[in-house]
Amino acid sequence: MGRKNKNQVILPPELPPDIPEDEFEVSDEDVAFVQENPAYTGFLTNLDTKAIDKHVVRVADHEEDELEALYEQRNLKKALRKANEEVAGLQVDRVDALPIKTLDGELRYRTAKESVPESIPHEKESGKDDDNKGVTKLTKAERRQLLKKTKKEAKKQVKEEPKVSDAKGPLHSEVLATVEKELSAEELFTKKKIRLAEVGMSLLENPEANIKSLKEMLQICDDEDPNVVKLGLLSLLAVFKDIIPGYRIRLPTEKEMQMPVSKDVKKTRFYESTLLRSYKTYLLKLTDLVKRPSFQHVVIQCLCSLLEAVPHFNFRESLLASVVMNMSSMDDVVRKVCCDAIRALFVNEGKHGGEATIEAVRLIANLVKVHDCQLHPDTIEVFLSLVFDEDLGKFEHAEDKKPMPRKKKGRDKNKDSNQVVVNEHKKAKQELMAKTRQEVIADFKAVSFVLDAKERLRMQTETLSAVFETYFRVLKRSIETSSSRAENNASLSSGGSCEEHPLLAPCLNGLGKFSHLIDLDFMGDLMGCLKKLSGYKDHYDGFSLQNSLSVSERLQCCIVAFRVMRSNLDALNVDLHDFFVQLYNLLLEYRPDRDNGEILAEALKTLLWEGKQHDMQRAAAFIKRLATFSLSYGSAEAMAALITLKHLLQKNSKCRNLLENDAGGGSLSGLIVKYQADAKDPNLSGALASVLWELSLLAKHYHPSISSMAASVASMASLDATQSQIFLSTASPLQGFTDLSIERELFNFKPAGTPASLKRKRKRGRDSVLMNCNKVENMDTMVDEVEVKRKLEDHYTVLRDIAENEVLRGELNHTIASIQLYEEYKKHEKQVGTKINKKNKVRKRL
Amino acid sequence: MGKLGKKARKFARKKLQSVQGMKRKKNSFFKRKAPSHKNLGTTEDSELLEKPTIGQLGGIANDEVILNNFLDTSSDEDTDELVEDSSDSDGFLSEDSECPYISDKEDENIFGDKCDHSALVEQNKQLAAEIEQHKKKLERLLKKDPKFSEYLVKQKALLEKSRREENSSDEEEGLHSPVEDTIEGKNEGKPLSSSTVDVWCWMVLEQPKGPALRNLLNSFHAACQYGIKTSGVSSQKVSSREAFSKIVTFVLLEADGIFCQFLGLSSPSNKEGSLNFRNKSEWETLRPLVKCYLRSSLILLNQVTDREILIFALTRLRSSLKFFSDFPSLAGRLTKISVHLWVSGDEKLSLASFMILRDISSNLSSDWLDACLKKMYKAFLRHCKFVEPDNLKHIKFLVDSIVEVYTLDIQRSYPNVQSSVQQLANVLKQAIKTKKKEDLKKISCWQYILCTNLWVEFISCNARNHNLQQVLFMLINVIRGISHLFPGPRYVPLRLKCVQMLNRLSLSCGVFIPVACMVFDCLEQKTSGSTGTRTKSVKLSSLLKVPKHLLKSEAFQEECVLSVIEILSAHFSQWNHHVSFPDLATIPLILLKKFHDKATSESLRRPVKRLIDQVERNIEFVGKKRDEVTFSPNDQASVEAFLQLERGANTPFAQYYASISKNSHSRTMIGV
Repeated sequence: MGRKNKNQVILPPELPPDIPEDEFEVSDEDVAFVQENPAYTGFLTNLDTKAIDKHVVRVADHEEDELEALYEQRNLKKALRKANEEVAGLQVDRVDALPIKTLDGELRYRTAKESVPESIPHEKESGKDDDNKGVTKLTKAERRQLLKKTKKEAKKQVKEEPKVSDAKGPLHSEVLATVEKELSAEELFTKKKIRLAEVGMSLLENPEANIKSLKEMLQICDDEDPNVVKLGLLSLLAVFKDIIPGYRIRLPTEKEMQMPVSKDVKKTRFYESTLLRSYKTYLLKLTDLVKRPSFQHVVIQCLCSLLEAVPHFNFRESLLASVVMNMSSMDDVVRKVCCDAIRALFVNEGKHGGEATIEAVRLIANLVKVHDCQLHPDTIEVFLSLVFDEDLGKFEHAEDKKPMPRKKKGRDKNKDSNQVVVNEHKKAKQELMAKTRQEVIADFKAVSFVLDAKERLRMQTETLSAVFETYFRVLKRSIETSSSRAENNASLSSGGSCEEHPLLAPCLNGLGKFSHLIDLDFMGDLMGCLKKLSGYKDHYDGFSLQNSLSVSERLQCCIVAFRVMRSNLDALNVDLHDFFVQLYNLLLEYRPDRDNGEILAEALKTLLWEGKQHDMQRAAAFIKRLATFSLSYGSAEAMAALITLKHLLQKNSKCRNLLENDAGGGSLSGLIVKYQADAKDPNLSGALASVLWELSLLAKHYHPSISSMAASVASMASLDATQSQIFLSTASPLQGFTDLSIERELFNFKPAGTPASLKRKRKRGRDSVLMNCNKVENMDTMVDEVEVKRKLEDHYTVLRDIAENEVLRGELNHTIASIQLYEEYKKHEKQVGTKINKKNKVRKRL
Repeated sequence: MGKLGKKARKFARKKLQSVQGMKRKKNSFFKRKAPSHKNLGTTEDSELLEKPTIGQLGGIANDEVILNNFLDTSSDEDTDELVEDSSDSDGFLSEDSECPYISDKEDENIFGDKCDHSALVEQNKQLAAEIEQHKKKLERLLKKDPKFSEYLVKQKALLEKSRREENSSDEEEGLHSPVEDTIEGKNEGKPLSSSTVDVWCWMVLEQPKGPALRNLLNSFHAACQYGIKTSGVSSQKVSSREAFSKIVTFVLLEADGIFCQFLGLSSPSNKEGSLNFRNKSEWETLRPLVKCYLRSSLILLNQVTDREILIFALTRLRSSLKFFSDFPSLAGRLTKISVHLWVSGDEKLSLASFMILRDISSNLSSDWLDACLKKMYKAFLRHCKFVEPDNLKHIKFLVDSIVEVYTLDIQRSYPNVQSSVQQLANVLKQAIKTKKKEDLKKISCWQYILCTNLWVEFISCNARNHNLQQVLFMLINVIRGISHLFPGPRYVPLRLKCVQMLNRLSLSCGVFIPVACMVFDCLEQKTSGSTGTRTKSVKLSSLLKVPKHLLKSEAFQEECVLSVIEILSAHFSQWNHHVSFPDLATIPLILLKKFHDKATSESLRRPVKRLIDQVERNIEFVGKKRDEVTFSPNDQASVEAFLQLERGANTPFAQYYASISKNSHSRTMIGV
């Protein structure tokens, strides 16, 4: 657009043609280019539009005051033409015209919608053009985005329509029979669609003037035809998304109403109250319809897009309530849409200032409470996308300090410039500018939803408490059910626990993620829960009480507990020994294809690999157990175990005695003299008395990396305590696990060439390897010659008979064919005869 | 019989187009023919053996979709071969006419002595009668209308012409037949009687270099082709069944000896001499004779379906295999035929044809080795889609023979092995990536498992003597991948097979492969309370996937546990003298004890208890021994030497394992 203006400066022969500017397609690349290089657009911002306008207008001999009138005229013309175009099928944009298949109302509806946003900004812009120069460029880009958005929606609608519009004939015709007999079902449907499109378009074109049309649209939504209703809902969605202002509408009080106001204010008031009323009706309608399954998808779509687009506007509460209600829907699509909407709400807090977040979290917490934790995991998973500002507490203090240096800096700058250019006038101007800037910043703060830190802190705390309340509820609930179930029926499979505690896994994830935010008061409680959940209480009973949680879940409990502890800088003096005991025993219960190996590796990493200092007894017990573990489990698990083992050995130099076969285990063995492999408590296993013989067998492992790892561990025996630090490995157990997992291994196959040493290691005779030699030698004698002769004779006779048969058949065919030929011959003869006869007759006549 | 049928059908298609009704009749005739064979005694069993294989081949054709990426050859090889045979048959030698033809009439009544083929004979008689009838009618017509005969002749000439064009265009028979005619021209009309054959045989034996050999070979050729040529002279040439069988047996028995005598090769034992026969001057003169002999025998192999004849011909041909080196195309045909017979024949026939294949790949040039390897592997792939208890033995034989041929020259076969294992890995990769049902099906089928097993066998056979590390590693990963891909109790048999393969690899290669964790979940299955479904014992060996109704049955549980015991004891017995045996057994022992405590059925508790006792005893034994030693775990040499003396001895655990595996064999455990 800017370019066009430029062109006009050079060539100003006449008024710009009546084509609306938007028809000049500014390609996306151009826009991007301009946006990337703001410097280039300098000439545009500096462009003296007024002058240009004047220039252009002067040519056409229009007064400056008439400019507006002219624009209006143009708009009128345009509107007229648009109406024409609509009838003619609209050629506004060929690119967009392409995907249209049918030539009924849809087409017009859509193209009309496209053209709608063009007109409004155009008007506005023309008004604005004079007073704020340079903003035009920006609005242009915004406008394009808006345009695209609307287009997308329009397309969505178009997509929706054919889906909807099929095969609804019978119901429709019933209505028609009573109302309008002359119109067919489709015609009526089309008519309604067109009406909807017209109304919607007019609304978008000029919301102030046509605000009453909302009522009509709402009425259309009461239609008996569900398709029409759906279309109406979607159109209203598009309209509302577009016309809802960026602020919350406060209806005037009685008092205010009575006060005399200007016409404009009255108009605005009327506009706002109508908008609000219609919006309310619309929402009511949506919440009504959401219960009807046939409308559910459409309605949920409307609700979610509204929640995403206008979370700041009135009636957010009811919106949120209905969206949260549907978060645990059985319908995958509905659930996904709702969860995505809530997630978007969490992420884009700027849109609503965080209030909606609290509300949503509270609602979810309530939902969990009401449903007694029997919900879909997605419901809780959305918490993971919550963003908490950890520095919020500090922010308060920083706020006071920050502005100061900046100001100083600014002053310094001023001083510098003053030194160079001693110009009083300019100085005053600069001060003025600085002042205005500050004012602008203050205004911006007031307008935008950036709240001060205190408010935010409060909201965050509330959100957090609601989140953790939910988490604890889930934990408690899991404990209750698991213990009750364990009492009731220990023989039920533990694999079914996923259905029992659907929310546990995302809850543990969340606890792990927000572990640093947990209030210290909760901590003890939480630890108790986790301890119970990880199955601590029943391990003394010799596995008689089967914990109903799966191994993966119990491991996860251990991981979370450690995370929580660690992120709170071990502030709490909670004994984590129980979790070690758990891990020690869970290693035996792990099954490679049933349980998640990555969680196991993660647990090894969190509990053992990252741990700082370990009790020597415990470390030794784990070292022994891990070595034994890697003898029985697959290479990936073994690798994770070995990495952990190596790390433990490096850190606990005394445990390296395990690598040596000292007689009696030395003085370190402590109370227990002999190693108890099946002890439940690592401290009671007496592992210090054992020797890591496993390594010698692991060195023969088929997997080269494991065998080399085992060898390297075994060679650590000769290291001094001082040398150990050099060899601290960097790979974590998790890394080792994923590197050696089957998927990875299979995909890393390299089709290598023939190895160099294929030669026989040992010479061997050429005799047969597998076959029984006797059998082979008997081959010659195993066939009886007489028998063969007899067989051959039989073979011959069969062959001969068949040959005979073939010959006979041939002959038979031949004769039959000959006989058949006789018939043909007769026909032929006849024909010849008749011909001759004819000829004769002709001759006779002649 | 199948082949004869094919020939006849082909003929029918060609000649009897005009008469549809006849064709239908003929179909019924062939149906009728089958039962008439039943009283043939020995042919019966060969036919019975043949039938299921044919049925299976049909099934395979339907199943071609599965694993089609394994097979890049079309399955219509056989038909190509047949066409080739029929067109390539002008192999008569020029004869000396000096040889006597004894033309005494053999009063062998054609229809008299064939009680076996009564149906066919009956049919022939009927046909003859019909012809008579029609001829009479025709004659009448001709008499009635003399002009018709002219017309008939004219039409016939036209028909002949068009037919000849047709033939020459699609089969080029028109080109061949005149040549044949000229060659055979002189002997035409001189049918061979059995006394002539006797005289010839005598002459050949007396005077090997004489002209009789030529005649005899010619007649052998004719005999072998008997029945292929429908209108040719050859069918007339051998007139009696005695003559036929005499020619065939005599030539097959004696030809090789005569040729060797010719070339001065003393006996088949010295191989060096037999290989450079080509340099001798006599070879030039003998070459056509040998070629005629070999080709005719190949035709015979293609023609005959009877097991005994085939075995006889194959064993005879095996001794003159050396001559094939000079006729590559014939050698190729021989490989094809014997691969086919090897894969589809019964025990003896398979063996005989395998011996041929082995000799081809070991004695002929190495190109033949490659060809044999590929062909055998492909044939195996096509054949091993189904496993039933009764074909387990045959599949085992096939596996053994493939391994044997691949072992002949590892240097050359190694790339083949590698690419095959790579293929298996690729299929698995695809399945892991997509997890689609059809991809998974490609793996949980016998074809895939048997192929994997084949390479396991190959490696375990050769790992001691060769460095096969790479393939071994790849194969272990493939097997682990299979068991990873199919968790759950339904696929227990499949996983057990995987574990067994791993055990086998581990034992033969001396590497440690942890398998214990793969069988633990079998111990943790929950038995449902319903003991009412006490069905007959489940045989895991012939299953890959447990049918749903058996999943909860007690028999299945029992079978599972017994298999686990067997696998674990195999695993332990391999390392029962290793210094870390106590540690190796720790975790499995804990789980076994847990299972033992929980199990209710006495039939399960007893074997488990026995295993626990044995393992504990061995733990004690090894533990005591290793307390005495002074070396550390990183001293590999000492670890190797630990309990070296006791390794060979018959320790309690070894005895226990022997009894376990004996039991399992009696239960017909995994046949693979």
